[in-house]
Amino acid sequence: MNSAVFEVSKFARLAVTWVCIIFGAVWLACWLVGVFIPALITQAAASSTAGQYWAEICRALVPLVAVAVFIPINAMFMVLAERRALALFTVRKGPNRVGPDGLLQTAADAVKLLFKEDITPRGADALMFTLAPIIFFAPSIIAVIPLLAAVSGNHPLFGIANIPTGIFYVLAVSSIPVVGIVMGSWASNNKYSLVGGLRSAAQAISYEIPLVLAIVTVCLMAGTLDVVQIADMQKGPFWNWFLFGNGALAHVKDGPVAAVAAILLLLCCLLLFLIYITGACAEVNRIPFDLPEAESELVSGYNTEYSGIKFAIFFLAEFTNLFVVCTIAAVMFLGGGHSPFGSHVETGFINWLGAQLQSLPGSAQVLSPAWLVNSLVDPSTLSQAIWIILKVYTLVVFAILVRATLPRFRIDQLMDFGWKRLIPLALILLVAVTFLRELL
Amino acid sequence: MSTETTSLPATGRLKTDEMIINMGPQHPATHGVLRLLVTLDGEFVKHVEPVIGHLHRAQEWQGQNRTWFQYQALIDRVDYLSGMFTSWALCRAAEKIDGTEIPLRAEYMRVMVAEMNRITSHLLWLGTYLIDLGAMFGFPFYPFREREKLLDLLEAISGQRMMFNYIRIGGVQAEAPPGWFARLKAFTEEFPQRVDEYEAIVTQNPIFLKRTKGVGILKKQVAMDYGVTGPSLRASGVPFDLRKVKPYSVYDRLNFEVPVFDGDGDTWDRYMCRIREMRQSNEIIKQCMEQIPGGSSDELREKRKACNSCDKADCPNCGGDLRIMTKKQNAGLRIKAGEGFAAVESPRGTLGCYIISTGGDTAYRIKWRNPSFSNLAVLPVLLLDHPIADIMAIFGSIDVILPDVDR
Amino acid sequence: MSEGHEPEKAEAKDELKAGPFGQFLEEHGIPSRRLPDSCGVETIELDGKHLEAAMKRLRNSHEIALNFLVSVAGVDSPETYDSVYHLWSYSNLNELVVKVRVPKASVPEDRLPLVPSLAPFWPAANWHERETYDLVGIRYVGHPYLRRILNPWDWEGHPLRRDYKQLVDALNDKNQFSMR
Repeated sequence: MNSAVFEVSKFARLAVTWVCIIFGAVWLACWLVGVFIPALITQAAASSTAGQYWAEICRALVPLVAVAVFIPINAMFMVLAERRALALFTVRKGPNRVGPDGLLQTAADAVKLLFKEDITPRGADALMFTLAPIIFFAPSIIAVIPLLAAVSGNHPLFGIANIPTGIFYVLAVSSIPVVGIVMGSWASNNKYSLVGGLRSAAQAISYEIPLVLAIVTVCLMAGTLDVVQIADMQKGPFWNWFLFGNGALAHVKDGPVAAVAAILLLLCCLLLFLIYITGACAEVNRIPFDLPEAESELVSGYNTEYSGIKFAIFFLAEFTNLFVVCTIAAVMFLGGGHSPFGSHVETGFINWLGAQLQSLPGSAQVLSPAWLVNSLVDPSTLSQAIWIILKVYTLVVFAILVRATLPRFRIDQLMDFGWKRLIPLALILLVAVTFLRELL
Repeated sequence: MSTETTSLPATGRLKTDEMIINMGPQHPATHGVLRLLVTLDGEFVKHVEPVIGHLHRAQEWQGQNRTWFQYQALIDRVDYLSGMFTSWALCRAAEKIDGTEIPLRAEYMRVMVAEMNRITSHLLWLGTYLIDLGAMFGFPFYPFREREKLLDLLEAISGQRMMFNYIRIGGVQAEAPPGWFARLKAFTEEFPQRVDEYEAIVTQNPIFLKRTKGVGILKKQVAMDYGVTGPSLRASGVPFDLRKVKPYSVYDRLNFEVPVFDGDGDTWDRYMCRIREMRQSNEIIKQCMEQIPGGSSDELREKRKACNSCDKADCPNCGGDLRIMTKKQNAGLRIKAGEGFAAVESPRGTLGCYIISTGGDTAYRIKWRNPSFSNLAVLPVLLLDHPIADIMAIFGSIDVILPDVDR
Repeated sequence: MSEGHEPEKAEAKDELKAGPFGQFLEEHGIPSRRLPDSCGVETIELDGKHLEAAMKRLRNSHEIALNFLVSVAGVDSPETYDSVYHLWSYSNLNELVVKVRVPKASVPEDRLPLVPSLAPFWPAANWHERETYDLVGIRYVGHPYLRRILNPWDWEGHPLRRDYKQLVDALNDKNQFSMR
């Protein structure tokens, strides 16, 4: 028992270290591009319009830079976290040799993959074969950009990425990767790949419907497609989350009809979340829906013939996709970056911290809250970042736990489950939620 | 079928062009080097031809060209997951021809190590079978935790983790080391809870049930026609276990059940049959430890202090039933002329050995009757009209070890 | 290897009395010859042309029910090629060894000994007969798919023949002191 506690604490330490590294790097990059360099430019070019113009462009690049820095490091961390967590669940050690406590294992793996020979099999369609991993990976980068605005509380530097139809855009973009899978599987000139690719196409199309229906229901409740607004609607304590019916419980005392409606709405929303998670697991090919790469049947499915950097991209993209769907879930159902206890807790904490800092003598005065706010980081953004990290990685760990527990569906059972269970259920919930909202 | 539906095959699916897929010999789920030439109609299997022999090491030829002493060390490699049983089958056949008496203590030791080996084999099967079903990382490691403990015990007694060479013609190789019985006892106490643990995760798991219930049905008559044996046969409702039907060694003194299922066995029945067999094996080991003449190795050592381990045949502490070996183990080991067939119930089924001896130091002819070989022959029947995803689910469920097939 | 082979010696002795299974076959008009028991199990010799009928009788009879074909073994005996069938029962304790012996003198130089196949009506024999064909070189007449099973499909010779010489390839040629 004690050793289990020890292993868990080691895992937690590792996760915290990595998360600090990731977000430190992202913050540093954003600060450089969004604050420091524009400041330099404006200083150098005094008040000329050209200087202002370039500084604006530089600031506009912030979301892109953030994503470009974040995605590779994050995918590396997720691979390591997954391996360590699986090891934890299965009474093993996991990678613990490269770097302190195995911290650099995936970095080493990435380097290994980069230096591996890049093989294009004989008879493969070389152009398609090369394009496939790119098409698979690119959407997952593009998809997160509008979400940045939502998770940072519409921070001025990220707000530029927000678009009024944000969630619509995210869903549209995140359905592109399947094209990459089908391309790659067809271009590999391998029967296992082909079967894997075809399965993947069928699966992605079937499971996108319940997934989108679940999201649409949330949008219906929110009355908007703007992710920032959806996140803001869930401000305050956790019963304001869409997971719990967006404050439906507040109506319990409004009379018997409203009470029943509120409780039913709560149940509907919980079910919606489950539907979304199921659909998302299928969308990103996680166990129990990892049929496109079912090892025991199809060797490795659509990426059988891939090696070296192309395989690395596929691998990276898979984990990034998982991260993206978890982020969507966090924004749509779990209140985005908002604290589950209402924001006054953090505000209080930050004020208290500021007071403590101010009471420090001498040089520590530099760390006054005003300076913190103005130059380094906005406290509300920081608190939002911490909460979104917690929420998203909790969902990721849940996905890993599922992977450690369940066997794989068979393709026909998968289709049955998608078309005969999930889609009707999602449609019923769509109607029920509309109806119940009227009763409140 | 009526005339209107002649465009559809009997299964009611649209017919498409057939595709031939070559599965293996390098394939992550063929448990070694099986090659399957699968003809697919869409995702459904129309025809399977297993191509075996990639691991053929001419074990029968070696039997004719190695001395008995050399050969009994080699045959653990035939079925590397249950080396005790291949040793035992050879030794039983040789002893039958030779008329060798086996001391009772040696027989109990044989049963104990063999049942331990049965558990390790079933545990490994359980882990890999779950991998075949796609539970890639989580559950499969739990059985290995217990298997590791058993392998440690087997290593302590035989010096090897897998190629034991422990059961020899005339007895067993060595007495158990100090403390071995106590460790084994601790394991047998703990093991049933571990099996409960596996069952809690797997047995009623809805996805597992969906993948296994009604899949790969092996009809009783088909199983008998193909000479299928072992858990696969008993799951199909034939109560045929050599340990019960033709009790050899001391199995007639032990009280255990042979799990048999009613009706035609599907993949889930075969899984359940093995799970129950593990529990029964555990019971057998417990009983052996109680019944074994001379008690545990530590007690025996204490007693033997009196006679200073004299090893005389008439010594009450060393001779008679308490011996573990009756034949000299050296290159001069010979078997009398004659021919005979003996079989043991291995984890995979009836493992038989047919020996023709001319009294020399090598055999004239050795023929192995391997359970995996006969069980694999039924695979094309089992796989017919199943989707490609079930190939490995069904192939895994009949528990075939490729070196056992190819020898 | 000593040439004396125990069943061969026994053959010279007086004809043994038919055992229970031999009598059963006799009742159904199938002649058989009893051989010395192998470790207490009745062993009979059948003529190739009676094999199929005898096997069907033994397998389908209710009280005998020898419905478990344990193995088919090929033996290259000094004078004969034997095809040895071990029959058990799934439902009772009956055991029987059936041998079909083809005298080497009757087999032409470049041909294989012929034994009728059980595979068409008894699937258990299918792979065992293929294996025996592969290793000992007994051709089972009527087998649906008599191809090599353990050795590669283009292998030459039958390795478990006593006179089998391993093909000397370039590698083994240099290593004269390798095993055999």
